[in-house]
Amino acid sequence: MSTVRRVNTESLLVRCVLIVLALGFLFFFLGLPLLAVFAEAFKQGFGPYWHALMEPDALSALGLTLLIALLVLPLNLLFGLAAAWAIAKFEFRGKSLLTTLIDLPFAVSPVVAGLLFILIFGRQGWLGPWLQAHDIKIIFALPGMVIATMFITFPYIARELIPLMQSQGKDEEEAAVSLGASGLQMFWRVSLPNIKWGLLYGVILANARAMGEFGAVSVVSGHIRGETNTLPLHVEILYNEYNTVGAFAAASVLALLALVTLVAKTFVEWRMQKETEMLSAELPPERAPLAAVVQQAASQAGDGKLEAARRSPERIEK
Amino acid sequence: MTRKSHRVLPGFGLSLGYSLVYLSLLVLIPLGALIARSAQLSLADFWAIATTERAFAAYKITFGCALIAAIVNGVFGLIVAWVLVRYDFPGKRLVDAFVDLPFALPTAVAGITLTTLYASTGWVGQFLEGVLGFKVAFTPAGIVVALIFIGIPFVVRTVQPVIEDIEQEVEEAAASLGATRGQTFFRVLLPALFPALLTGFTLAFSRAVGEYGSVIFIAGNMPMVSEITPLLIISKLEQYDLPGATVLAVVMLVISFVLLLAINLLQWWTANRHSGRHIENGVQA
Amino acid sequence: MSIAVKNISKRFGNFTALDNISLEIPTGELVALLGPSGCGKTTLLRIIAGMESADQGSVHFHGEEATHVHTRERQVGFVFQHYALFRHMSVFENVAFGLRVKPRATRPSESEIRERVMKLLKLVQLDWLAERYPSQLSGGQRQRIALARALAVEPKVLLLDEPFGALDTQVRKELRRWLRRLHDEMHIASVFVTHDQEEALEVADRVVVMNKGRIEQMGTPDQVYSAPASPFVYRFLGNVNVFHSRVHGQWADVDRAAHVEKDEALAFVRPHDIEIQRESSDGALSAGVLHVQAIGPLVRVEVEHQGEVFEVELTRERHNQLALVAGETVWLRPRNLRVFQGEQMVSSQTFDLGAGI
Repeated sequence: MSTVRRVNTESLLVRCVLIVLALGFLFFFLGLPLLAVFAEAFKQGFGPYWHALMEPDALSALGLTLLIALLVLPLNLLFGLAAAWAIAKFEFRGKSLLTTLIDLPFAVSPVVAGLLFILIFGRQGWLGPWLQAHDIKIIFALPGMVIATMFITFPYIARELIPLMQSQGKDEEEAAVSLGASGLQMFWRVSLPNIKWGLLYGVILANARAMGEFGAVSVVSGHIRGETNTLPLHVEILYNEYNTVGAFAAASVLALLALVTLVAKTFVEWRMQKETEMLSAELPPERAPLAAVVQQAASQAGDGKLEAARRSPERIEK
Repeated sequence: MTRKSHRVLPGFGLSLGYSLVYLSLLVLIPLGALIARSAQLSLADFWAIATTERAFAAYKITFGCALIAAIVNGVFGLIVAWVLVRYDFPGKRLVDAFVDLPFALPTAVAGITLTTLYASTGWVGQFLEGVLGFKVAFTPAGIVVALIFIGIPFVVRTVQPVIEDIEQEVEEAAASLGATRGQTFFRVLLPALFPALLTGFTLAFSRAVGEYGSVIFIAGNMPMVSEITPLLIISKLEQYDLPGATVLAVVMLVISFVLLLAINLLQWWTANRHSGRHIENGVQA
Repeated sequence: MSIAVKNISKRFGNFTALDNISLEIPTGELVALLGPSGCGKTTLLRIIAGMESADQGSVHFHGEEATHVHTRERQVGFVFQHYALFRHMSVFENVAFGLRVKPRATRPSESEIRERVMKLLKLVQLDWLAERYPSQLSGGQRQRIALARALAVEPKVLLLDEPFGALDTQVRKELRRWLRRLHDEMHIASVFVTHDQEEALEVADRVVVMNKGRIEQMGTPDQVYSAPASPFVYRFLGNVNVFHSRVHGQWADVDRAAHVEKDEALAFVRPHDIEIQRESSDGALSAGVLHVQAIGPLVRVEVEHQGEVFEVELTRERHNQLALVAGETVWLRPRNLRVFQGEQMVSSQTFDLGAGI
């Protein structure tokens, strides 16, 4: 076996070169930066690191980041479910247009996204004068940051759910309805359990992006310390002030978040894969209904006996 | 009859309605505002703002760097995907999961980290500048580095499943017909991977064009030399030059839409090339 | 409960799925909707179930109009082609689903549910699989669980979409007989869709042959097989030889006066309705034997007449008498033939050939 090289693989040398190239590339561009974050953060030891993290501005930035994610995710979750439900389970005109619209934020620069909302809510924007007259602040305040984050992250959950729900079809839902289930019963008992992992996957991705968004939020935030500063913005400010330890301390929190995201994502991927494997698992050998017990015994005894049972004339007679 | 549009499954109106309202408020109306805003300018004014020397330089840097980064990602992404699917080595699963780091790591963090690494005192910069005399941070080369970072997962993740799906019999058939491994790769495998590779490339390119957070730290941001278009938009905003920012945004949007269209066409093309495989389960007997 | 379908039409875009279909199914009858894919049979079944709405026409259950009654309230048991079992529920929970989602007032107690589900699982002989998940079952088992699930809500009507489509031949045969017995015990109207003629003929009380959104023929299995109402039914149900009036004038014996030349008449004869003789006789066609092959209890003979190949099926006994050899010339006579002009049947003849078999 070892003397004949398998046809569909490369020589050992080529394989080694490719592996080294791939790993080297990933190490240089991914591994090293990740190491550098923590190295820089702890450059002056744990004390200054901890001090930088416990600074009120850093804490309030962390709080704001969490708050924005908490506000944005439920809305995007609802949108993702609604859009996926409509697109995957029904036929209607303009469906592909809707699907394309959902992809749109991926193609729009975050800076342009931020600008869009300045044009509406900003001082010179459409609603600017009215908002000012009523003393409502959207731009350079929390609402603007929430809206910009919503824009950037709304496709994630929908994009995850649409293909999943499309591949599952609507048979199970129709079966539930034909068995007398109401809309809510169908959704809770049949649809939701079927998509729970996909949903979670989308939420994880959307959450990572929501907490880490920089460009769009930067445009609409106004960078008011302690008020409209999210953690990524806080990183920028400290970095520009040459407070390297502070900047990297905050960055290390975000990097940790990224690592947690990767772990969670990998876990969910593993679960999803397990589920699809389970569903597409090769069927056990067919058993005839009327000889179920005999067959069961035969199949337990092994394939040979099963074959014998298959061929046995009595079974067909029965 | 009375209920022509009767549907068995509930929630069509509600879900479509919610989606449309959400999309309108969040996407359509803001885009409308952008178009309306730019329409207030005369065509000549628009053209003048869109084609200033500084804007041109910014486009060149933005698209040029994005192109180089996407090409690098195309080549290395293919290698990484191939290695991850076909070869075994210790820690493979870890590496596989790690590929998505740029999706998960906030761009600002990537930005300051890459800057620190590639600055003349950094781990990598020291070596590049000291030994090779090659300056990366605060030059367009730095921009390319940042864009490579954020684009890595796109190519890998689009090509990987396609490599997984390739039937090994195809390669065995090629080999049995006398092809060398290299011939098999370039004549049989690469053509099969090409659509996915192109899609991944376009996605990485499109993301790189709009990227802001990871670039601004490492770019140096010198007008005409290392200033990207998104940054130019921001600086116009900071100078309260809303029309200027709007025009540049429209230019970027148009280019992004063309890219998006290209991606969709590519995917459609890929899906339909082997037509007959997908039969919609709509109308059947 | 009886089902009546009146003047149902349905279009999908430019495609006419159903064209003015009317059909009545009395209680206790097991009806097969038979036809090639695309003939509209599944659409009709889904309209009866209320999962699709018709553009025109009405559906009646037991004399009452049910056209606008929601699927949920129709009390139909629907068995899906790919079973549509709830993948994340155990077999037990799948079968119990219809009972659990009943409004609180009519929902049985937990113990009643358990009892009824186990009874149903026993009925489909799979009570030993109650705790398994659908993915751990074979195709035939899934099929029976899907049926048990549909029966759990005590439907008034049982509808099955290609119930045996995805199963292998042996399991198919067993399940057919089993379904037949189950139906007989329940006294409800059952409709199943199939594209397999053998299945329809073997299981159903009545067969509805459909083509291109229309009903070609309705009748007992024997009627549709031995007295097909159209060339389509002839071709779809079993093998048939077609003789052209121009070539085989004496077989496609049409009244020449009424016969318009452009619309040629065709005579349809089943392979087993052709008798092979050694001597010429009135109305016999001469043919050359091309190939003789024994298939199980039958012997299939390929014969050639004026450049066209026909198929004849003989019993082994008859074949032994004849001892045909490839290359020799024989005479063919029909035992039973029907002549069609276009879609129109113009004559049907049965000849008593006496001895032979």
